[in-house]
Amino acid sequence: MALPGLWRLPLLLLLLLGAVALGQAGQMNLMSPYNVQVHAVNTNFTLKWKWDSQKDFEVTFSAQYQRIAEDDEEEEEETDWKEIPGCQNVTVTECDISSEITDYFSFYNVCVRAEKGEKRSPCSITFLFRPYFIAEIGPPGVQLESIDGVVKITVSPPEKSQSRKMWSNEDITFTYNLESWENSSNIESKTRIIQRRETIYDLAPGIIYCLRVQARITSEKKVGSFSPVSCVKTSEKARNALPYPMNVKVHALNMKFLLTWDNQYDQNVSFIVQYLCAYLKSLQEDDLDKWTVVPGCENITTTQCDFSKIILGGLYFLRVQAINGYNKSRWSNEVKVDPCVVNEIGPPNVTVSSSEDSLRIQLTAPRTENDSISECYDLTYQILYWENSSALKKTKQQPLLLFTISDLKPSTLYCLQVQAFSQVYIKYGHFSEMECIRTLDAKTSPLAILTTFVIAMIAFFFLASVFGFGVYYISRRIRYAFFPSCKPPSNIECLGGQPFVSLYLSTSEEPTDNCCIIENIVTEETNQTDFKDYKHSKQSSRDSGNYSNDDDTSGTKVSEEMLEQETS
Amino acid sequence: MATYCLLQIGLVLLSTTKISTLDCNILPSLHNKMIQRNLHLLNKMGQHFPQQCQSEKMYYKFPEQFLKSRQKEEVKVEIQEILQHIFYIFTKNLTLAVWDGRSLERFLNGLYQQIEHLETCMREKMEMKKPYSRTRLKLKKYFQKIDNFLKEKQYSFCSWEIIRLEVRRCLQFIDKVIRRLKN
Repeated sequence: MALPGLWRLPLLLLLLLGAVALGQAGQMNLMSPYNVQVHAVNTNFTLKWKWDSQKDFEVTFSAQYQRIAEDDEEEEEETDWKEIPGCQNVTVTECDISSEITDYFSFYNVCVRAEKGEKRSPCSITFLFRPYFIAEIGPPGVQLESIDGVVKITVSPPEKSQSRKMWSNEDITFTYNLESWENSSNIESKTRIIQRRETIYDLAPGIIYCLRVQARITSEKKVGSFSPVSCVKTSEKARNALPYPMNVKVHALNMKFLLTWDNQYDQNVSFIVQYLCAYLKSLQEDDLDKWTVVPGCENITTTQCDFSKIILGGLYFLRVQAINGYNKSRWSNEVKVDPCVVNEIGPPNVTVSSSEDSLRIQLTAPRTENDSISECYDLTYQILYWENSSALKKTKQQPLLLFTISDLKPSTLYCLQVQAFSQVYIKYGHFSEMECIRTLDAKTSPLAILTTFVIAMIAFFFLASVFGFGVYYISRRIRYAFFPSCKPPSNIECLGGQPFVSLYLSTSEEPTDNCCIIENIVTEETNQTDFKDYKHSKQSSRDSGNYSNDDDTSGTKVSEEMLEQETS
Repeated sequence: MATYCLLQIGLVLLSTTKISTLDCNILPSLHNKMIQRNLHLLNKMGQHFPQQCQSEKMYYKFPEQFLKSRQKEEVKVEIQEILQHIFYIFTKNLTLAVWDGRSLERFLNGLYQQIEHLETCMREKMEMKKPYSRTRLKLKKYFQKIDNFLKEKQYSFCSWEIIRLEVRRCLQFIDKVIRRLKN
C-alpha cells in the first residue's frame, strides 16, 4: 500500500508542475504590443501601438507613463509609473493621453500592455518623448472678407481659443504660408508668407478666389497642417466710385521719407495719409482704429506726403485715401516701410588735398536730420580713384572719415568719387561728384625741401652779410665825410673861436679862410721845413682820403699856391 | 571712349541700385544697434525702480547656457526666442503699468522689426536640420516663470516694474553675447 502512496506524490508534483507550466504558457502567449508611438497636434496627444492578433476581441490594452523632470541644475528626476486614466482596458490600438501630459518641456516614458481575462502581457518597449519636440502645429483659423475688390484675410493662431497652449507667444511666433488660386482657372496656385492680417489686392472682380493657410514656426523649423480650403467671390467694381490712389510708393533719401501716388483725378480731390506701426498687425485686436493720420498729410491736395517725422525705428504701414466732398475712395494698397531698407544713402561731402605721392580725403557723413541715419547704418566708405589718363579704377574701403591714398605718381592728375556703404543692408549710397586733383611735383620731396632750405639759408646769410657790410661801408663814408675823426691842425682852426666843422661847410666862408691863411704865414714864416712838412703831411693826409675832393673850394687852392709863393 | 563712359555709368547705376535684402551673416552689428536702442527705450519708458516694490522682487535664474552658446545659428534662434517672449510679455495687460505709451510703442515696434529680420534670415535656412537646443527649452521655461509671476500678481504695478527690470537684464545678456560674437 505504501507503493501507491509513493506513486501519488510524483504524480501530484507532475500535475502541479504541469499546471504552473500551463499557466505560464498562457501568460507567455499574450504578447506585448509593439511599435508604441505618440502623435501630437498642438496639445492633443494620442498614444498608438500595434498588436498582431487583431481578431482577438477579448484583448484590451492599458497604458502607463512616467515623467522625467529636469531641474535647473539639469539633474533628472524620474517619477513612479502611473496608469493613464483614459487608457485603461481600451479595445482599440490608440488612446488619448493629453490629460496626463502637462509639462511640455520634460521627458515622458510611456508603455502599453495587453490583457485578456486574467492574463497580462509585460509592458511594451517604452517610448520616450519630449512633448514640445514631437508636437505638430494644427491648422489655423481663416476668415475671409471681400470688399471693394480686395480680399481681406484674417488668420487666427492654431490654438486661439484653447486654454492649454503648446505654442507660447502665439501672436508673434507664427507666420503663415498662404496658398491661393482662382477657382475657375487652371493657373497654378501661388504660395507666399503672410502675417496674421493680410489684404490681397489686384484681384479680378467677380471671380471665386480660394485659399488655405498653414502656420509655421521658422525658428523651430516646424510647418503645420493646412486649414480647410476657404473660397470667396470678389466683389464687382462699384460704378461711379472715386478711384483709390494708385501706384503708392515710398522714396527716401538720407532718412527723408516721401510717399507719392499717381494723380489720376479730374475733379478737385484731397488726400489723407495714415500710418500703422507694423507690430500692431500681429496682435489679436482689430487694427481698424489703430491707424493714425500722418501729421501734415490730412486734406492735402498734392500727391505726396513727407512722413519722415513718424519714422522712429521699427516697421510701418502706410495708406492713402482720396476724398471728394462726401465721396471717399477705398484706401489704397498698403505699403510696408522698413526705413533702413528703403532709404537711399546720399553722397558724402568730400574735401581733397594732395602731396607729391598721396591724396588726403576728408569726408563728412551724408547729412540728415537728427542724425537718424546712424540709427540704421554703421557706414563704411568706399573710394573709387583713378589716374585721369587711365581707365583702371581702384577702390579702397574703410569706416573712417579720413582717407589717405599713398604711393601715387607725382605731378599727375587723379580723380576720385566716394560713396557710403552699409554692409548689413548690402546698400551702396550715391556717389559724390567727381573730384580731380594734381599731385605735387617730385622736386618738392622732403630732401628737396631740405636742400632748398639750406640754400635759402646760405643765400640769406650771404645777402645779410653783404648788406651789413654795405651799411657799414656807407655809414663809415658818411661819418668820414660829415664827421671826420681826424681834426685839422689847430693852426687851421678858426681864430674867431668859431669851430672849423667841415671843409664842405666852410666853402661859403672863403674870405675868412684867406684871412686865416695869411695869419698862418705870418706866424710860421721863420721855419721853412715846417712848411714843407706841412705840405707833405697835407699830401699824405690827402692819400688817406681825408681830402677826397680834389676840386676843393678855391680857397684852399689859393692858400696852397700862396703858400708855395711865399716859401720860394 | 564712349563705351568706357557707358561702362562707368553702368557701374555707378549698378552700385546705387537699392537691394532690399539683409546680409544675415552680419547679425552682430545690426542687432547690437537695435538692442542698444531697445535698452534705451526700456529705460525711458518708466522711472527708477520704485522702493515700495523692493519686497516683491523675485530672482529668476537666467539660463546661463545662452551666454556660452558658440554657434552663430544657434545664437540667432535663441535671441529670436528671447525677443519673442519679451514682445509677448509687453503686449499683455499693461493697464497697471504706468509707462510712457510712446516709448512703449517704439519699443514694441523696434522689437517686432528685429524679430522679423531674424525671421527673414532664418527662412533661408529652413531646410537645414532642426537643431536640438537645450538652451532654447531652458529659455522657454524661464519665460514661463515670468509669465506665471505676472499672472499671479494680476499684472500689478510692482509686478510690471520687476519684470521690466528682468527684461532689461535679458537685453543686456543679448548685448553681451552679440559683443562676444563680434569679436
